[in-house]
Amino acid sequence: MVTYKDDPDAPKTAGVSLVARVFSTDHKTIGRQYLGLSLVSVLCGVALSMLLRMHTSWPETAIPFLAGVENTPERYAGVRLLHGSLMVFFVLTAAPQLGFGSFLLPLQIGAREMAFPTLNFVSLWLTVLSLAGMTASFFCPLSPGLNVWLGSAGIFSLAALFSALNFSTTTVDMRAKGMTLPRMPVTVWAWFLNAILSMLIFSILLAGTTALLSDRLLDSNFFSVGSFLAHQPQNLVRQGSLPVLWQRLFWYFAQAQVYVAMLPCFGIVTHLVATFARKPVWKERLVVLALCGVGLIGFCVWGYHMFATGMNPYAPLVFAVLASSLGVPAAFLLTSWLGTLWDGRVQFTASMLFAIGFISLFIAGGLSGIFLARRDLATAAVSEDFVIGHFHLVMGVAATFAILAALFFWFPKLFGCRMNERLGKVHFWLTFAGVYCIFMPMHWLGLLTQSNLLGDAQRLALASAGASIRTVVTVATIWTVAAQSLFIINFFGSLVRRRKSEANNPWRTSTLEWSIASPAPGGNFGGEEPVVYRGAYDFAASGCEDFAPQHLSPELLVQEAD
Amino acid sequence: MPRTTVGHDIELIIEKVADNGGGITPPSNGNGGDDGKRPPKRRPSPRRYYTGIALGIVSVLMFFMALASAYLVRRGSADWVPVRVPMLMWFNTAVLLVSSGTIEMARKRLGLLDVVGFTRLWGLTTVLGVVFLIGQVVAWRQLVGEGIYLASNPASSFFYIFTGAHALHVIGGVGALLYVAWRNFERAQLTRVVAAEVASYYWHFMDALWLFLLALLYLGK
Repeated sequence: MVTYKDDPDAPKTAGVSLVARVFSTDHKTIGRQYLGLSLVSVLCGVALSMLLRMHTSWPETAIPFLAGVENTPERYAGVRLLHGSLMVFFVLTAAPQLGFGSFLLPLQIGAREMAFPTLNFVSLWLTVLSLAGMTASFFCPLSPGLNVWLGSAGIFSLAALFSALNFSTTTVDMRAKGMTLPRMPVTVWAWFLNAILSMLIFSILLAGTTALLSDRLLDSNFFSVGSFLAHQPQNLVRQGSLPVLWQRLFWYFAQAQVYVAMLPCFGIVTHLVATFARKPVWKERLVVLALCGVGLIGFCVWGYHMFATGMNPYAPLVFAVLASSLGVPAAFLLTSWLGTLWDGRVQFTASMLFAIGFISLFIAGGLSGIFLARRDLATAAVSEDFVIGHFHLVMGVAATFAILAALFFWFPKLFGCRMNERLGKVHFWLTFAGVYCIFMPMHWLGLLTQSNLLGDAQRLALASAGASIRTVVTVATIWTVAAQSLFIINFFGSLVRRRKSEANNPWRTSTLEWSIASPAPGGNFGGEEPVVYRGAYDFAASGCEDFAPQHLSPELLVQEAD
Repeated sequence: MPRTTVGHDIELIIEKVADNGGGITPPSNGNGGDDGKRPPKRRPSPRRYYTGIALGIVSVLMFFMALASAYLVRRGSADWVPVRVPMLMWFNTAVLLVSSGTIEMARKRLGLLDVVGFTRLWGLTTVLGVVFLIGQVVAWRQLVGEGIYLASNPASSFFYIFTGAHALHVIGGVGALLYVAWRNFERAQLTRVVAAEVASYYWHFMDALWLFLLALLYLGK
């Protein structure tokens, strides 16, 4: 196996002060920092979801943390807001795209750095600032707290825009010689398409938050209620259609944001499934096309969050058709994953288990999404529990599984050691069972107890059953959260006990990042530029290995085989 | 994507280096890297700056489009009191248009290696940019004198946010012009030619964006 020698000019890590290492423009350091940020956020977010569940099931129990910061309904809403903000912005957006993307994108395309390292540095620290702001907003009184939150959301948008600019330019212009578009790993495609989508939607969120903040602080009249209300037909006013303009801007962003979280996960799962099934991605080009489709349609379906806002009666039809048509690329991705698995020599590593778990959750969550995309069904099924169950399954948990799969897979490249496989597998099965026990009953709760189709008497009878289902959900939540301690032990235990002798390419896979040492050294590929000779999923090579690394020339490959 | 001849040459050099590719020995450059400084002595391809500015322009455009669509929706409301565009803003528009001309002339001078001519015209562009900004501030003060504030009504809110956000972006543009003028490009990763070209694209975009916003404010009242 040819590896790149150390670069004598590479930035040195030993002997560099801690400050210089923290405030580094190196894409690998920044990637690790994003992942650290996500880890902190996910732990806080999970703790907050525990509080919410416990409060729902046992409302009389005084929760010490909440009692300390005045135990009011607004505070409950505050906990939900903080939980959502941490999870959506700093876990689902930050980890798969910014974290793994910053670390791996240059490595996988054979670049030495991002296109604009300083911009990368600025976006990381803007993200940190935004995290600090959103957390601080929770502890402020309600009204100033909201202003701080909006400001932080604006800062996050700015950071996301800078990163998106950086990711797309890097992919377009920094690819190594021979790394043609068809040879790019699917992960790179996903990060690239996602960056383009982010660039469009975060501008909209930035515009929306700027206008709203200006309304709140400077008394401007972008979304002001009174006069706009007076101009609307009476029936709309009664339905509470008021802040429609803000809603449009917000959902324009927020619906596409779901795909911003999911797209890199699709890329990661496709990559891992092919690697561990030891087969090329089934219909790789169509997979890339499907990713484009998800991005494009995802950009156009904002209206389906607004069926209840009194929009043009034909609009829901359009949005429902668009939303349902998302099923086409999604179904294709699914077919490709299953097609890749079919007849493969599947290796059930912890990473692969999480990737397969993602597929399972994606199917389950996607099916309940069909209910919500159709207007008639949505009217019956829209209830808090159903919607929460649906989007947590498909967006929150599925994406978390993809993040965990990626972490198990790239841990050697990130930190120079592997995580414990056996502990990882136990962690997987406990979590997998746990999340189904949480979110499946939640769907039933939504359909049973809050259905508009039932009579009053039936609803009352079901309400008591609902209470016990709620308790089951809460117990399952506690169970699943407890299981995450295995992950924490595994993560930090592996870091503490790491040995220096990790192989460069422990998973025997072909992309460029595995051609260099583990952990990835400063300067990436040393003094020379890598050259790419083939696609990323060449698992059918003849010879002693069942894969052909992208960077080995055909002659060297023959030599190795001999 | 347009490329300069300089950029093209650099690319050829890179390809030549990479042609050893698949090769195993790194080129030895002897200094051992003890100084810990970033290594590349050669300048990498400048294409990324063009791509970067093109994508940046798309996302700035998206920001203004979001506001413009909100403007068009909001225009129908009962409390909408149209704002008359101050006469001064037409003068400012002319200043900005002229600056787009001078920046092109400056670039032509640079292409002819006439550094003095370049510096003069580039400086003139910067001054025109600053004049535009001052003009906008004076126009706002005129509006305030007429009793039209940000909080007066939706039309005035949009008027101030469009002009204000554009002015902020122009300040960024002036910053870029100053950077090109003052930066020492000897050791930079990009050349002055590339930097000037990239800055000029942004500047023209600011110009076009202003024309669009002005049309929106004038016709959309």
